[in-house]
Amino acid sequence: MAESLNEKEVCLHLAGVHKYYGDLHVLDSIDIEVYEEEIVTILGPSGCGKTTLLRILNGLISYDSGDVLYKGERVIGPRPEMAMVFQHFGLFPWKRLSQNIGYGLNIQGRPKEEIDNLVRHYTSLVGLEGFEDNFPAELSGGMQQRAGLARALATQADVLLLDEPFGALDALTREQLQDELLKINEAEPKSMIFITHSIDEALLLGDRVLVMTPQPGEIRFEMETGFGRGRDLEEIRGSQRFQELRHYLWGLLKNPDRKPGPLPDEPELHGTVVKEGAGNDDRNQTGRGHGP
Amino acid sequence: MTTETKPVEAMAHKTAGEAEASPFGWIIDPAIYLRILSVVVVIGGWELLGQISYISPSTFSWPSAIVAAFVDLTRTGEMMAAAKESSIILVAGLGLAIPTGIMLGLLMGRFKTCEYLLDTYVYALYATPVVALAFPIAMVLGVDFAGKTTIVVFFAIMPVIVNVFHGVRNVDPFLMEVTRSFCSSEWQRWRDLIFPSMVPYLVAGLGLSFGRGLVGMVVAEFLMSISGLGALSQDYTGELELDKGLAPVLLLMITGIVLTKLVNICENKFSSWRTHHEG
Repeated sequence: MAESLNEKEVCLHLAGVHKYYGDLHVLDSIDIEVYEEEIVTILGPSGCGKTTLLRILNGLISYDSGDVLYKGERVIGPRPEMAMVFQHFGLFPWKRLSQNIGYGLNIQGRPKEEIDNLVRHYTSLVGLEGFEDNFPAELSGGMQQRAGLARALATQADVLLLDEPFGALDALTREQLQDELLKINEAEPKSMIFITHSIDEALLLGDRVLVMTPQPGEIRFEMETGFGRGRDLEEIRGSQRFQELRHYLWGLLKNPDRKPGPLPDEPELHGTVVKEGAGNDDRNQTGRGHGP
Repeated sequence: MTTETKPVEAMAHKTAGEAEASPFGWIIDPAIYLRILSVVVVIGGWELLGQISYISPSTFSWPSAIVAAFVDLTRTGEMMAAAKESSIILVAGLGLAIPTGIMLGLLMGRFKTCEYLLDTYVYALYATPVVALAFPIAMVLGVDFAGKTTIVVFFAIMPVIVNVFHGVRNVDPFLMEVTRSFCSSEWQRWRDLIFPSMVPYLVAGLGLSFGRGLVGMVVAEFLMSISGLGALSQDYTGELELDKGLAPVLLLMITGIVLTKLVNICENKFSSWRTHHEG
């Protein structure tokens, strides 16, 4: 798995990205490379700057130093090659479902016939046939997020940015949608950056999991899950390795300042401690002005 | 504590039950009964007071007398002529006030520069009794059509500006971010987000604006060159025929009710997506 990923090109590249809100250091020297067709999950507690990071990737907000590159081009604003799925769906309440799903295409000025075809295709891909004429308020949260997903997919963007997309849903719907998201991605592979505060979700969906810790937000740890494509989520949930990794990540999140121990023994797993959190010495080194 | 919350729950259930019986909802809808009851008591009481008292009809009038006078004036054609005269001012005034109000509200709501340039006047005018402006307006624009129309504009424009302004300001910032994320242009943003979320505010503003426009129309007809329904009312009141003096007022009331109902119908039509909330 790791080898096949390395053959792909880097799609998104963040290098030493810092972000401040006034005096508050929100993001501290973030370095991430996302390959084509790779699913990267970013796991972290609330308030660690995950959403800020995603908004920077989308070009919605600026960053104070470093570089954000999409296929070598600097990201200076939202671009059609990236599409966002929002935590609270972000559907227009006065638009019918088909209009909501076709929104991005409409904005791009695609011909009507093309929009109709793509909307039909993605409506059925997310299982919303028969609800095209409904208003969002008439649908359950799960269905609304399916529409949010279809809207992002319909633009045929290269990169999907997902901001805790299943966070507002009940546990059952959530598992269902996780499963479907992977199936959709197998049918039409693209890069995904998926933000979550659920350890399970990060492990199940990610080819790679990045662990973020707060104040300032930084990527503390990175590992490949190695579950492979075409994975059966039910099987993974029941597996010994899933439990071990889950336990390991839980320990990491609970004590972010402690040096992480060795990964559970699995030869094909690659885990890297990006930043060794330790005493105050380390903290001082990662302060303002100490960029790469 | 639990005993205190129980009645509220019970009431909530009752309302839900009533809503379910919607095929006959209009029959048992208490709103209708309450309205009828209120009209019977107030109008009936007024009528009764007029019938049993020996007050001169020149200083006091009652519903049946006013309705009779209304029919009388309609038959002679005086009412229609006056209404025509008045409606020209009203239509011209509203025709100017509404588009201008929408434009100003939109600009002030969307662009801070416009807000800072204009809000002083808007808030000043909000607190100004427009009646006090009648004289200076008459000095500049004359006491005829231009002056009267301007009075109507001043009366009617405020609710439009203020409501549209708030409608634009209350656009969901989160949906704003969605439009940005999908690379929407500014005009697409107006089309997809700002206009649709502003419409309910605008419609509510229009309802207020029609009512104030009617008031402005009569004020203009009283204070400037006397004409239309204002003149009709003033003339007959001056001749101590109070029933005929109040008949044009009756017409204004009916117009007010009809316009408000029309606005309500529009409101429901434009916000059909709101009424579909699942139970």
